[in-house]
Amino acid sequence: MNLPALCAVALLAAPALAQEAADAGVSAESEEELKKELEGALKADQKAPPGAPAPAAATSTDAAPAAPLMRGAQSLNPDMSVILDSDVGYQRRAPSFFNGDDPSLGAGPSTRALGLTVQEVELAFSAIVDPYFKGEVYLTIPNLSGIEVEEAFATTTSLPWNLQIKAGSFRSAFGRQNGQHLHVQDFTRRPLINSAFLGTDGLRGPSLQVSWLAPLPFYLTLYGEATSQRFDVPAAPAAGTPPDPVRSFGNDGVRRPTLLAEAKAFFPLGEEWSLYTGTSFASGSSPGITILDDTGAAVSRGVGRDTALIGADAYLKWKPANVSGGYESLAFQAEVVFRHFTANGDLADEWDGGAYAQVVAQVARRWFLGVRGDLIGLPTSSVTARTLRGALSITWQGSEFSRLRAYAEYERANAPPSGSLLPTLNPAGAFGAFLQLEFSIGAHGAHPF
Amino acid sequence: MIALIAALNVVSSIPTLGSLAKEVGGDRVRVESLAKGYQDPHFVEPKPNLMLVLNRADLLLYVGLELEIGWLPPLVLGSRNPKIQPGEVGNLDCSRAIPVLDIPTTKIDRSMGDIHPQGNPHYWLPPANARIIAREIAARLAQIDPEGKPAYDKNLASFISRVDAKEKEWAPLAAKMKGARIATYHKSWTYVSHWLGMVEVGYVEPKPGIPPDPSHLVRLISAMRGEKARLLLMEDFYNKSTAQLVAEKAGAKLLVLPTDVGARPEIKTWFDLVQHVLRELASAV
Repeated sequence: MNLPALCAVALLAAPALAQEAADAGVSAESEEELKKELEGALKADQKAPPGAPAPAAATSTDAAPAAPLMRGAQSLNPDMSVILDSDVGYQRRAPSFFNGDDPSLGAGPSTRALGLTVQEVELAFSAIVDPYFKGEVYLTIPNLSGIEVEEAFATTTSLPWNLQIKAGSFRSAFGRQNGQHLHVQDFTRRPLINSAFLGTDGLRGPSLQVSWLAPLPFYLTLYGEATSQRFDVPAAPAAGTPPDPVRSFGNDGVRRPTLLAEAKAFFPLGEEWSLYTGTSFASGSSPGITILDDTGAAVSRGVGRDTALIGADAYLKWKPANVSGGYESLAFQAEVVFRHFTANGDLADEWDGGAYAQVVAQVARRWFLGVRGDLIGLPTSSVTARTLRGALSITWQGSEFSRLRAYAEYERANAPPSGSLLPTLNPAGAFGAFLQLEFSIGAHGAHPF
Repeated sequence: MIALIAALNVVSSIPTLGSLAKEVGGDRVRVESLAKGYQDPHFVEPKPNLMLVLNRADLLLYVGLELEIGWLPPLVLGSRNPKIQPGEVGNLDCSRAIPVLDIPTTKIDRSMGDIHPQGNPHYWLPPANARIIAREIAARLAQIDPEGKPAYDKNLASFISRVDAKEKEWAPLAAKMKGARIATYHKSWTYVSHWLGMVEVGYVEPKPGIPPDPSHLVRLISAMRGEKARLLLMEDFYNKSTAQLVAEKAGAKLLVLPTDVGARPEIKTWFDLVQHVLRELASAV
């Protein structure tokens, strides 16, 4: 039963309303019939979109035109908003690839957890700085543990030759999900490729980016970027705990910044279909992995291995130009990443990789269903075993500013191949489920396609 | 042909603004719109190819009052076109000189729905506002293209005299609407109601942007019956099954009307648009 229906039931009981309706000439009996009929029409109508026909301000119709001075209080403060993601959930064991903005319930390597968390609080500020720059700052508090700078950067607004420069600390141009904040994801947890290849918090850090919009008949933008990824050689994991996923980059302090390149192209396939694709490349140096050897001593392996990532992403969306025929839409999204490590010490030159694919269908004005499959370890390597995950999400969108999501996943971590540095997880299969509440207060945000 | 080659590229968020720019700019402008006339201007998909359109623009026209806030700003930034960035001469918020209605007078929050803090942005139909928009566009075109000023002035004068003439021609139709009690789907007819003297008795949306529930609709139907509202107006980009049933139950007629140039193939100019709306309204009362 959807929310309008619940409201209807609740309100049906309200005698005051019945009285009001009766006063206006609708008898209580016919009112009930009328409501039923209206519910049917609303359901038919509800094949409709998220945002909802927004709005015009609601006040009196015949208000006199306001004098120019009344045009709203002017302020040079930045646009501000706060976004909260709060969850209640269950996990059979700690997930193999945990992302910084995933909900953390404190499950152990083989122990369950059931509980509540505040997955993320994000503070967003943005404004035009002056005639030359736009400034944006996003602070995040993941799982109530310390404030982080998710992004803080300036974007040029007035460069010639279709150029744009971004400077500060920001999410790198590498594939689709890496650039997105938690609240634009369609699932409670990010895809596995994020922490497996891009880093727990994705590929983000102090960076300088130049991008160029090619003057072609179709949309093509090229990005070039340098980012300083600084991570120490990881500490040894506690006994019985698997090591964190190996970082692709982070040894930059002793080498050079990680370098990235990306090409993004967009193809409008008629009015309803769109295809947005990209290919990405990144090159840097890994801080390696630290494991416990047979004697229980910490050993770091693969420190300073040259690493390259190659990625491709596609986003295919179907959405009619308007909602006169209903609110359905459909979006398919997939990304694949391959990683190359050079030989180092006794570790051979090797490749690993992973991918995910998801479909999100809007089935009614406020309802979205999503299904996603993840595969890591294609091929496997000394630091990456095969992991499979399937996830489902059901999202109810109250308005553009609130969302409730039910999310369930099942992860299966296969035994690492022979010669791997990784332990076998127990249990191999793990179920997790979350009920997530998300809201945004403050300025009305705009999301890129 | 020479004029065509040298033409200024004017890009509008909605087609009606582009159409007004064409009236004023004549051969000196080439006009393109980001949204289609049959799309809800609140919810346009910010497809990256629209950045290419904006990349070529000499002048960007938009409705303002946060109508396009959900989709236009990232496109403008991504266009990498310095000429149309906020604060530049090629960036014209067409609401600049509009006497805005529905400016909230009390503290607002989103319990009131997805409201526009600066007032109601659906202002482009009434002739008085079309004259204001055209004047703003003419002034801005003359700033960008000073050589064309005499032509823009001449076109503006011609446009305004045609609007004056049309207003006289439309007067009998407009007079028929005075005092008419109406309900609307979204609160987007305020300016038209203000212009024609219509009285709005309620809205299908309980709050702007919030989908209706049966209880609200029962109240609306009662209000429409009680107030003898005989018309329910709705833009043609919404789904009409609910509105149809509400109109039926309230003993009113559902009028699905265009609100933008290009909403229907035959509506090619602001004049076509307003004439179409007025004729449909007048023939329904």
